[in-house]
Amino acid sequence: METKMVISNLLHRPTRTIISILAVAIEVGLVMLTVGMTTGMLSETARRVEGIGADIIVQPPGASFLMGFTPAPMPIKIGDLLEEKVEHVAHVLPVLILMNVGGGVNIVFGINREQFDAVTGGFVFHSGGWFTGPDDIIVDDLYAKAGHLKVGQKLTLFSHSFRITGIVEHGKGARLFIPLQTAEELNQTQDKASIFFVKCTDPGYTDDAISGIRQFLPTYPVRSMAEYTSLYSSNNLPALNTFIEALICIALTIGFLVIFLSMYTTITERTREIGILKSLGASKSYIMSLILREAATICVLGIAAGEVGTLGARRVLQSSFPTLAVRLTPHWMVYAAVLAMGGTVLGAVYPALRAASLDPVDALAYE
Amino acid sequence: MEPIILTSDLKKIYRIGKVEVPALRGVDLVVPEGEFVAVAGPSGCGKSTLLHVLGGLTAPTSGKVLVDGNDFSAMNDADRTRFRRHKIGFVFQRFNLLPTLTARNNIAIAQHIQGNGFNPHRFQAIVEMLGIQGKLNHRPYALSGGEQQRVAIARAVICEPKILLADEPTGNLDSENSQIVLNMLRGLNRSFRQTILMITHNPDAAALADRVLRMRDGRMLLD
Repeated sequence: METKMVISNLLHRPTRTIISILAVAIEVGLVMLTVGMTTGMLSETARRVEGIGADIIVQPPGASFLMGFTPAPMPIKIGDLLEEKVEHVAHVLPVLILMNVGGGVNIVFGINREQFDAVTGGFVFHSGGWFTGPDDIIVDDLYAKAGHLKVGQKLTLFSHSFRITGIVEHGKGARLFIPLQTAEELNQTQDKASIFFVKCTDPGYTDDAISGIRQFLPTYPVRSMAEYTSLYSSNNLPALNTFIEALICIALTIGFLVIFLSMYTTITERTREIGILKSLGASKSYIMSLILREAATICVLGIAAGEVGTLGARRVLQSSFPTLAVRLTPHWMVYAAVLAMGGTVLGAVYPALRAASLDPVDALAYE
Repeated sequence: MEPIILTSDLKKIYRIGKVEVPALRGVDLVVPEGEFVAVAGPSGCGKSTLLHVLGGLTAPTSGKVLVDGNDFSAMNDADRTRFRRHKIGFVFQRFNLLPTLTARNNIAIAQHIQGNGFNPHRFQAIVEMLGIQGKLNHRPYALSGGEQQRVAIARAVICEPKILLADEPTGNLDSENSQIVLNMLRGLNRSFRQTILMITHNPDAAALADRVLRMRDGRMLLD
């Protein structure tokens, strides 16, 4: 009977019900998309670095683990030294990293073909091939798809015109690759690298190789690939966590306010009906339960709409922006639902208490 | 035999801001079980307040109120609510049906709130007696005033209350429907020995009762 009442009441004011459901859906969607995009970008970047196939990463002292924020490049000869002197080091790939901020933020790898192939096993070309000149550029398939780019087309980066010579399978560190020498010229440096990707003779020797590298480069951060990729988490980016928490608070507040207003209006409008229920002997807990069930129903429908809507939004985003990674995990789907339910209960408690404590005589006389 | 309603020096004072408004100024009332009593009097004489106190909707300010042996003046709000749920049925002038529910659910909700579950035999007997079998799936807005009041009576008596309190039950009805509703109340009283206390302005309605009590200025004039 209570369920019938709840459904009847919700259907009685369909516009208000739909708006309330939408508000909860937006709350859920905002949480899921915000977290999904931030964690998605981080995990996607980590996967791309992992896709290089190196076992060890060497960065200059004081460098951030974020590749685009490497301040002082290292002498490239360090790579040769490691290859020659450190036991179990098979190949070293020096990369000069440039960050292009025109038309979006992009990491560009300056690389040498031979070293790149030795460490990564080489590109998988969808079309075209390797650089043939200093102004050539290779782009990954997602970047090409996002920009509708084809081999032979021109691409301007750092006010420099490049010719696309190849489109490759994504997942080898960056989305854009230029010759190392060109990168050095653009960076106004010579024989420098921002990072070294080290391939061991066998992955089982990774720890030994790390110890060996540290003997040569005691002040340099030397990490295994597993350790390095584990840094790509929002916990290592305090500002990102604050941003996520702030957005979650905003979403929670939206849900709370909409449910509060919706239920408050509902009980004001239904004051007389509450009086009728009280005249029939309905207890305070019965009245509260009705109001909370109604809010919970709105919330459950809102959560379902929000989660389905978010899945749809991810599909749209990824088809419109192929380089955008949105990671929706079951953990966050549950967390967003719990947050929405928490906001709903908080928003509905006061109206429910108010309804339960209405004086029956006053409620029955309410016009 | 102990009366089902007994009040002694019953007073009810409302406070509006700092002003005290006495609605009942010492009402003495005795109603034996199975009696159909009408309470008549001018507007503002305290009839509705008396009904609200006897129904446990509001607490008396002072005096004694015994309903089916239970002293309302010693009960808190939760106790009176529990008592009302099991022992009191209300019929209002404005019908007071829940607009979002069908007639069937408006009746069934009283059984649901009482907590004894849906009794199909009792339900059938009541709707047949009140002649609303064909209207059960209609919502209140699709029923005439007379039909709405019959549904309200069905809701009030479905849980077999000890007392039926009717507040101007014919106040919003035309004479034909008024007569139908009054006949039904009379029928309930005769068939089931249902104790009824009815407030009315209508002399014809009052005449149908076993006894008519008159109120003025918060007091009973005649008992």
